[in-house]
Amino acid sequence: MKGSVGIVKVVFLMLAVACVAVLQSWAPGRAQTRDYGRLPDQEPAVDAGREFPVPFAPLPKTITPCRACHGPEKDFPINVTRREDLLVHRNIQLNHGGVRVWCLDCHHPENRNFLLPLSDGRPITFERSYLLCGKCHGTIFRDWRNGIHGKRTGYWNGEKTYYLCVSCHNPHSPKFKPLEPMPPPHKPWTPKEKQARH
Amino acid sequence: MERSGFLVQAVKRLVTGPPVYYVWVLVLMALAAAGVTAYTKQVEQGLIITGMTSYVSWGFYIGNFTFLVGVAAAAVLLIIPAYLYEFGPIKEIVIVGEALAVSALAMCMMFVTADLGRPDRIWHLLPGLGILNLPSSMLGWDIVVLNGYMFLNLFIPGYLLSKAYRNEQANMRFIWPFILLSIPWAVSIHTVTAFIYNGLVARPFWNASILAPRFLASAFCSGPALIIIVYQIVRRYTRFHVRDEALFKIAEMISVAMAVNLFLLAAEFFKELYSDTHHLSPLKYLYLGLHGKGVFVPWIWTALVFNVIAFVIFLIPATRKNFATLNLGCVLIIVGIWIEKGIGLIVPGFIPAPLGEVWEYIPTGLEILVSLGVWAIGFLIFTILLKIIIPIETGEFTKVRAAAASLQHMGVRS
Amino acid sequence: MSEREVRNKESLANPEPGPDRANLPESAGPAQENLLPNRRTFLAAATSLFGMMAVSSCSWQEFFQNHFKRMSKKEIDETIERLRTEYRAKYGKDFTVGTEAPIDGTLFGYGLDIQRCIGCRRCVYACVEENNQSRNPQIHYIRVLRFRDGNMDLEESDIYYNPEEVPEKGYYYMPVQCQHCANAPCTKVCPVRATWTEPDGIVVVDYNWCIGCRYCMAACPYMGRWFNFTDPVIPAGEVNPETHYLGNRPRMRNVVEKCTFCIQRVRVGKYPKCVEVCPVGARKFGNLLDPNSEISVIIRTKRVFRLKEDLNTQPKFYYFFAT
Repeated sequence: MKGSVGIVKVVFLMLAVACVAVLQSWAPGRAQTRDYGRLPDQEPAVDAGREFPVPFAPLPKTITPCRACHGPEKDFPINVTRREDLLVHRNIQLNHGGVRVWCLDCHHPENRNFLLPLSDGRPITFERSYLLCGKCHGTIFRDWRNGIHGKRTGYWNGEKTYYLCVSCHNPHSPKFKPLEPMPPPHKPWTPKEKQARH
Repeated sequence: MERSGFLVQAVKRLVTGPPVYYVWVLVLMALAAAGVTAYTKQVEQGLIITGMTSYVSWGFYIGNFTFLVGVAAAAVLLIIPAYLYEFGPIKEIVIVGEALAVSALAMCMMFVTADLGRPDRIWHLLPGLGILNLPSSMLGWDIVVLNGYMFLNLFIPGYLLSKAYRNEQANMRFIWPFILLSIPWAVSIHTVTAFIYNGLVARPFWNASILAPRFLASAFCSGPALIIIVYQIVRRYTRFHVRDEALFKIAEMISVAMAVNLFLLAAEFFKELYSDTHHLSPLKYLYLGLHGKGVFVPWIWTALVFNVIAFVIFLIPATRKNFATLNLGCVLIIVGIWIEKGIGLIVPGFIPAPLGEVWEYIPTGLEILVSLGVWAIGFLIFTILLKIIIPIETGEFTKVRAAAASLQHMGVRS
Repeated sequence: MSEREVRNKESLANPEPGPDRANLPESAGPAQENLLPNRRTFLAAATSLFGMMAVSSCSWQEFFQNHFKRMSKKEIDETIERLRTEYRAKYGKDFTVGTEAPIDGTLFGYGLDIQRCIGCRRCVYACVEENNQSRNPQIHYIRVLRFRDGNMDLEESDIYYNPEEVPEKGYYYMPVQCQHCANAPCTKVCPVRATWTEPDGIVVVDYNWCIGCRYCMAACPYMGRWFNFTDPVIPAGEVNPETHYLGNRPRMRNVVEKCTFCIQRVRVGKYPKCVEVCPVGARKFGNLLDPNSEISVIIRTKRVFRLKEDLNTQPKFYYFFAT
């Protein structure tokens, strides 16, 4: 009995996926897309074979994985029109590039567990978000790769950790927030204070 | 027997004198005691009791040291004019000059030691036992030349006086090379001291070629002025004989030196004011104040006024040959050069700091006390030396007479 | 003129021993006259030695301690042990005082991105904690200068800025610390060679050899050196027990100290503390001899400059603009 229910579920799932795929291909104004329902095996970096020692991406725990809501089960339609009312994501203040950039310019429209794909179609994972940032901020990406931009900790002659772009820059509002400076140094005693001391 | 005679008689001479002598010595001893007490406070708490900071890391002590090296150098350099102008008995003049040089050198060494953060580590400077950074460190060279100069100034008079004490002929062939050596050596101690400051790229106020010539010019002003005063005191209270003409000649020489000094100062002014770069800032701080800070401005202008007045006094024969104005000129020039070359040279070198900040410096009371103590000890040394040297030179204090006196004291008739 | 003066004038004219040495009491000869008695010399030397030790307020081992470069391995080990005991007694913590030698083939270089620095001073205080600097009187190795946009006039700069937030509009920031110059004016002038440049480029001070003359401080054009005018004060809870003999071990009064590129960290491969703590990644550090290190890439690809280049000090501190 259990087995037959399981089979039915799988079949239904596959049908749903197929429908979604077909619908996607008919969505107006969209280029041809591929099926990203499955998790890719690995995500190589741009430099063939090279990976950067980055920490885990600082994703908010409450709403990940994104696919839980934006998945085929929930059946949210993909609406690529720029809008302000984001329902669940109202807390996000988007302040990145003004009118040039909005959510779906970075987040993968079909599979919100990923970011936009590379030119060869492979989607970018959140762990490799620098590849996405580097699409527009190429010079910064090159500097980051070489250690000129951004922060690194660890060993100058050994293992390091490269901080991700998003470790310092909130991708929705990437401009660095001003910090409160630490106190200025003490001034040396002026002659008057010196005399007062003695 | 002879030695005890010498010592006993020397001590007797030291404790006898006119009432003013007692007052003088007692005042000096009191000041010395105050200085030593203040210094123990410094040893106890560290250099924090001074007004120095990491911005102005040299101050009153090094200022006094710089001034006194000039005095020490000039005291011996008087040999040259003494010989050229035939002041009379050159050896007498030279020996008093060398006594002044010894006291000034002793004061220099005391000031440097007082300024050191860790005087307990002074043995680190001994070559062999410690490390003396030659040839690159100018301070290392300064230690060598100062100690060599001290040796020369103790050895030459020591030799001449011991011969005189025993009524023996001094072997001039033996001692003359040392005397000749002490002349370039005197120039070198002051030049090396100038080079200590001159070589520092971080301090544009000092990093000017004019510094070493200015040092020598101002040394030739202050040292001989002190000597003129000392000679007058000495010839008043002892049988030491110095002609008036000799004193006037020294004063004339001072006027030439001051002319050079003022000219070099004017040259410095032109270069800084006309070029109007950031290198103007230390000079501006000194003479006009910088960014609202100018605690030295009244002092340096006083010094300049004193120097000019003294120059005029020494230049005009009428005022030069009048002892009242002559002595006034001497005092003015000593004070003026002390301000200008002492603290007026050291402190503006540090202002503004290498990163542009302006932090001032004023010596604290304890610092001044220590310095007064060092000066007092120096003058004490000078007084003691003169009290013994002069009688030997005038023939009053000889071995014969010392022996006779001690025999008499023991009740044996000679 | 007295008899003396006549004789002297004659002797000057004829510099030869005259014939009239006669009729004088027997002289003992010059040798004995000029020789001080042994007892006196000994007393004077002993007094001065004890005097020096009295003013030194330190143990006799510390008093006689040799220069670091001249000590044998055994002497260094003994010194380290003595220091560790002292520090344990004073701070209540177990200290490591390393003596790591330079790593072969390294020459350290430092990069500072002026485009990125926001003047937050986190590097300043991280350095203070890491390097056991005195809190009172306060010593900071790093000074962050604030310049107005448009010039780099040191005299117009401000170190004491204290706004609500940084960076401020219209200003930019440039931290300065010891530049570890290759042609250092400070090491040239030390009279006892208490400060020197190590083979990996770090300019170090042997705090137990320094005599406190402050000549090096007068010589430094970058305000890199600081003096302990009195006993340094470090709160016991904040003291860093991982130290290097030539680096951040707690210092004593009246000696000079300075940035050492965190010698205790870089010689075991770590970044200096200021590099690690900078929140904007403006500080870069690496091996100039390695063409792939961050600093080498910066020098190759970015426009760098050094402070006061005309003084020919050849600093290892490269300022650059990333974008």
